[in-house]
Amino acid sequence: MKVRNRRLLAIMAALVAVSMIATGCGGGETTDTGEEPAAEAMAIKIGIGAPLTQGAVALGQGMKRGAGLAISQANESAEAKELGITFQAVDGDDQGDPKTGVTVANTFASDPNLVGVMGHLNSGVSIPASKVYQDNKIVMVSPASTNPALTLQGFSAVNRVCATDDVQGPVGAESAFGKLGFKSVVVIDDSTPYGEGLAAEFAKKFEELGGKVLFTEKTSDKDSDFNALVTKIKAANPDLIYYGGIYNAGAILAKQASDAGVKAPLMGGDGLYDGEYINLAGAEQAEGDFCTSIGLPVDKLPKGQEFSAAYKALFPNDEIAAYDAYSYDAANVIIAATLAVAKEMGADAVTSPEGRDAIIAAVRGFSGEGVTGPISFDENGDTTNKAITTYKVVSGAWAAEILPE
Amino acid sequence: MSSADVIIQQLMNGVTLGGMYALIALGYTLVYGILLMINFAHSEMFMGGAYVGLGMLLWLTNESFPASEFFTGSTFGLIALYVIVFAVSALAIGVLGVVIERLAYRPLRHAPRLAPLISAIGVSIFLQNAVLLWVDSKALPYPMFFPVKPAITIGGATLSTLQLLIIGTSLALLFILDTFISRTKIGKAMRATSQDREAAGLMGININYIIALAFFIGPALGAVAGVFHGMYYGTVVFSMGFIPGIKSFTAAVLGGIGNLRGAMLGGFTLGIVESLGAGFLSTGYKDVIAFGILILVLIFRPGGLLGESVVEKV
Repeated sequence: MKVRNRRLLAIMAALVAVSMIATGCGGGETTDTGEEPAAEAMAIKIGIGAPLTQGAVALGQGMKRGAGLAISQANESAEAKELGITFQAVDGDDQGDPKTGVTVANTFASDPNLVGVMGHLNSGVSIPASKVYQDNKIVMVSPASTNPALTLQGFSAVNRVCATDDVQGPVGAESAFGKLGFKSVVVIDDSTPYGEGLAAEFAKKFEELGGKVLFTEKTSDKDSDFNALVTKIKAANPDLIYYGGIYNAGAILAKQASDAGVKAPLMGGDGLYDGEYINLAGAEQAEGDFCTSIGLPVDKLPKGQEFSAAYKALFPNDEIAAYDAYSYDAANVIIAATLAVAKEMGADAVTSPEGRDAIIAAVRGFSGEGVTGPISFDENGDTTNKAITTYKVVSGAWAAEILPE
Repeated sequence: MSSADVIIQQLMNGVTLGGMYALIALGYTLVYGILLMINFAHSEMFMGGAYVGLGMLLWLTNESFPASEFFTGSTFGLIALYVIVFAVSALAIGVLGVVIERLAYRPLRHAPRLAPLISAIGVSIFLQNAVLLWVDSKALPYPMFFPVKPAITIGGATLSTLQLLIIGTSLALLFILDTFISRTKIGKAMRATSQDREAAGLMGININYIIALAFFIGPALGAVAGVFHGMYYGTVVFSMGFIPGIKSFTAAVLGGIGNLRGAMLGGFTLGIVESLGAGFLSTGYKDVIAFGILILVLIFRPGGLLGESVVEKV
């Protein structure tokens, strides 16, 4: 019996060893970006922090594809080849959960070749994770976290390419009250830093403009039962329902409200701007709903067509989701900064503490044209591009309704 | 809507929700009654039922399926469709429950009481991840073929066809199960096993059969609740089982765990309290209210609403 056990143990140990070699023994999975790194090339890693299995998965997977496109293009560029650098994406599935996000951040920080993070999606995840990145000299560029608090922490390594809630919420209110003519609203949020911030900014501006907020209510981002709330909304009879939150709960609220006979459309922020919203709510129920999202529609931008074509070539089966272009831009900012530092200090110095400091400074000082418009950062790391577009569901798809002036 | 209409509407929402809680709570209470074990994988039976139902609905109404027109074309076809969907889902998940009992709980039946509990948590996580990997990680929309227009109108309050169906089906199933347990021979055997497993075995009752039966009925009812949940809220996701599972467990404890009628009473009480709390205080507080009541009941009536006070055996 004893001998058998020992043999079993040996076999198990061998199996574990083999499987560790096979998976590269890394903390995270590495994404195949199309090209095998050349033997002498130095692999610089970029973390992708996004919800990939839980939470707003459609948005998270889109972010991964956007950044993946940027990385595969960078690896084909003459500049990277000349410097002997290949970029590698490392997936970090934060599940839209702050605790998991910090674990992901620590896994990223334990990788000596990882210099930057493209992420995260949820403000609630980005804020705690950003501390880890700052402490470990990893530059972070979020494509989608819009809570103002993220960049108010005074972290030199933390940046974002999207406009904040205090820009988006008021623009939503102006669209709703001024241009679309809704006079009364019920404001609901999902109790996350993103949803709360957005809903509060919207409600403040809506009342300032002279609109009436009938009542405000908190729900949870994991809730699926809104019937009691819908009954309350029905009794209040508003012109509009404003929802601060992500599409997966927002769509269910829209569906239940519509099924219960509430005529008022639902409006939300960029968290709703995804085809999944219409898919989950049902095309009929979602028809006429609104959302605001950051920047201009991709097809209205000079580099948009080029981006769409390259995206379709690499991911023929996927639609471009809300943050794909932002993720592409965010990854490109990190790549550009890394290449600039490598050129100046040598490819080997990129991962050293000095090199990391130089990358952090280079990202903050970046200025260029992205797919989403001009990109540059202010002293807090916020984008200087503050355009917000209002979209509406028209015959089962999001269509730009009000463009920024 | 007048305020009286709002109260009636919230009560109706609560009864619908309570019907689903009661169906799930029965699974917890049946297993606990017989094995004195809390089956934490039961919330995944509920989730699995919703997925099996979704698969059936999509398959039967797909245009490539020969009889799809029959199922979506007429009222009779629709009724047939739903009967098939519920039956297949309940049967499949019932069998899954029996298999899980055989593989994960029976080998641990004589182990310390903590072991099957941990095994149940393991099964729950296993099933969640299996669905995540096999189906999809994102939420899927649930097709609804019932008209959404209200079936019953009381003042400004309305009850939809689906709500009526949920309330009716859950009450019917609860009544059938109650009759089965209290009137039939097998029901008597189940009650005997619940009272004293060893003695019941000595009297010639096949204990393994009785336990397997409990693990069939509970998950089958959970699966029905899962399909209702999918239709009512319009979406399914692999992690959907957790919150209704924990709420139904609460309902079972509230009514007195191990007591079937208690589980039903607990389910409806919880559903109504939650809806009224969400409607008149705040949606954000609905869980606080539900669990606050649980704590109060447990402090003042430790056995639950219908629980019997346990006499200390000396």
